[in-house]
Amino acid sequence: MTGLGDRILGLGLLVLAVAYGWVAQQWPEPFGGAETVGPETFPTILSVVLVVGSLYLMVKPDPDAQWPVGKSALELVVSLVVLVAYALLLEPLGFVIATTMAVGTLSWRMGANPKPAFMTGLLSAIVVFVLFNYGLSLSLPAGLLEVQ
Amino acid sequence: METIGYLMEGFAVALTLNNLMYALFGAFVGTLIGCLPGLGPANGVAILIPLAFTLGLPPETAMILLTSVYAGAMYGGRISSILLNIPGDEPAMMTCLDGYPMARNGRAADALAISAVASFAGGLIGTIGLIMLAPVLARFALSFGPAEYFALFLLAFATLGGITGKNPMKTVIAAALGIMISTVGIDISTGTQRYTFGVLELYEGIDFILAIVGLFAISELLFFVEHRMGSGRDKMSVGKLSLSFKEIVSTIPTQIRGGVLGFISGVLPGAGASLGSFISYTLEKQVIGKKGKFGEGDIRGVVAPEAGNNGASSGALVPMLTLGVPGSGTTAVLLAMLISLNITPGPLMFTQNADIVWGVIAALLIGNLLLLVLNIPLVGFFVKLLSVPPMYLLPIVTMVAFVGIYSISHSAFDLYFMVAFGVAGYFLRKLEIPLVPIILGLLLGPEMEKNLAHAMVLSDGEWSILWGSPLAMGLWIFAGLGLALPYLVGPILRRRMRAAIKETPVSD
Repeated sequence: MTGLGDRILGLGLLVLAVAYGWVAQQWPEPFGGAETVGPETFPTILSVVLVVGSLYLMVKPDPDAQWPVGKSALELVVSLVVLVAYALLLEPLGFVIATTMAVGTLSWRMGANPKPAFMTGLLSAIVVFVLFNYGLSLSLPAGLLEVQ
Repeated sequence: METIGYLMEGFAVALTLNNLMYALFGAFVGTLIGCLPGLGPANGVAILIPLAFTLGLPPETAMILLTSVYAGAMYGGRISSILLNIPGDEPAMMTCLDGYPMARNGRAADALAISAVASFAGGLIGTIGLIMLAPVLARFALSFGPAEYFALFLLAFATLGGITGKNPMKTVIAAALGIMISTVGIDISTGTQRYTFGVLELYEGIDFILAIVGLFAISELLFFVEHRMGSGRDKMSVGKLSLSFKEIVSTIPTQIRGGVLGFISGVLPGAGASLGSFISYTLEKQVIGKKGKFGEGDIRGVVAPEAGNNGASSGALVPMLTLGVPGSGTTAVLLAMLISLNITPGPLMFTQNADIVWGVIAALLIGNLLLLVLNIPLVGFFVKLLSVPPMYLLPIVTMVAFVGIYSISHSAFDLYFMVAFGVAGYFLRKLEIPLVPIILGLLLGPEMEKNLAHAMVLSDGEWSILWGSPLAMGLWIFAGLGLALPYLVGPILRRRMRAAIKETPVSD
């Protein structure tokens, strides 16, 4: 079936729209009595708009995009893991180490040789760290490299 | 004329040494952003917002920095169009048509120089238009009531996809998603918690800056990873400048025509810079007729779209500054900056924050001059940067995005959120859901709800007030047209644009 991507998206959005609209109906009436426009009015309108939009998507989907398979998909997952790990390790490991690893791995996976890739990471990490901590006095976490 | 007086005050703001330095820095960085692969102007400005924010810059300086970046990015977009036949951003597409053939004929330096001159002329004309039109429009907008504003926001969403947009329904969906995200948090007027699910971080709502950076910057990285465009391109040589003064003078009529047309299409909702450069190019072809060698490296074929493109980018600031309704992705990002600086955009800004508005306008004039001076001697440097492969560049850009977001709140939670937005942005882009309406929804959602509530209080619960006045009615009609026209006229216009580009294959 063509347009599968749009149909799935439409279905997902439909579920989202209905859930979003339903949640809005559950809020207690605000203190001081109901007005014409309460906290739930605007979300209700939005949910109706999105229901219409998602139904349209399912009825008249656009042709499918080309989705990454195999190796490309794997590379995407790897990059995503790197990004999440970067966010996770930024504070415990400190900015310089975390950045060297994150930028290095990303450029390596994008096709650079490991050595220049990690050198780029280290260099950019040091430049940004020095610039921010000393030049702009915004503190980035030093982590393991912290001098006691 | 009071406008002149205000403008002089604006110059007084913009010409302080500090602001001038930031304008210069912004123009330089903007040109870089424009010419680097995969970093459009919206993207670049988005990454710089958190930095401008955390540096604690005063509002006028922050805005001057970002508008210079904006103007610079428009300049930079042409470098890769001319040298590589790859437009840095969408409006630069038309510059490829004659710019690349000129470069192949060994006139790359000339093409770059004349396009810098044309950009300057277009930017100048656009800014003059902005100075004349904006105060008038702002005064007119003072008569808008909440119902008119509500309709105006609808118009902004409806026309955002542009006449050349593909599927207006996807614009509607994107806008709805954006507004939905903006409803998360504690409702301002009643204190009801909406969609917070008891998560403390969500009480204040979702910060649109991290949504913008995630949607633009992180999804861009993922796109590059998928397409493995990491290795970059071959080096190009620029050659010697052989442009004569006479040749520059001979293109002045073209520059004026292009700049004016571009400005008009920049102001109009739904047209934007791409249509601006397209119309300027097509008209120039009509005017010159058979005498020109368009498509084979005619100098006027470079001048017209460049003047149009830069005229449009100044024109696009008119609705953003006067009505608080941006007409393009980049101006939407600039609006985000204004809102996060606690400045309410719209007609009142011209009276309440006159120093910022006029400072920004003056900075645009100065920025255009700086760019011209910066661009001619430094073009070789920018060209060198073009050959930096994205595999080094994009990870660094991503890192800068992380640093920016982290330095706002010092919380890792925000970083996860940004990555999540990046993944969402990747999928949405894959499914051709435009991202700009999402951003605009995030920004305008609260305002829209507020105006709806005000209108309802005024009318005592009568819904018909929303289209009661002739002005509001007109806005509704235009909004409807904005959604219907892409179905009717869109295919024809798109086919024409494609036909014009066909002879020189353009990658996205």
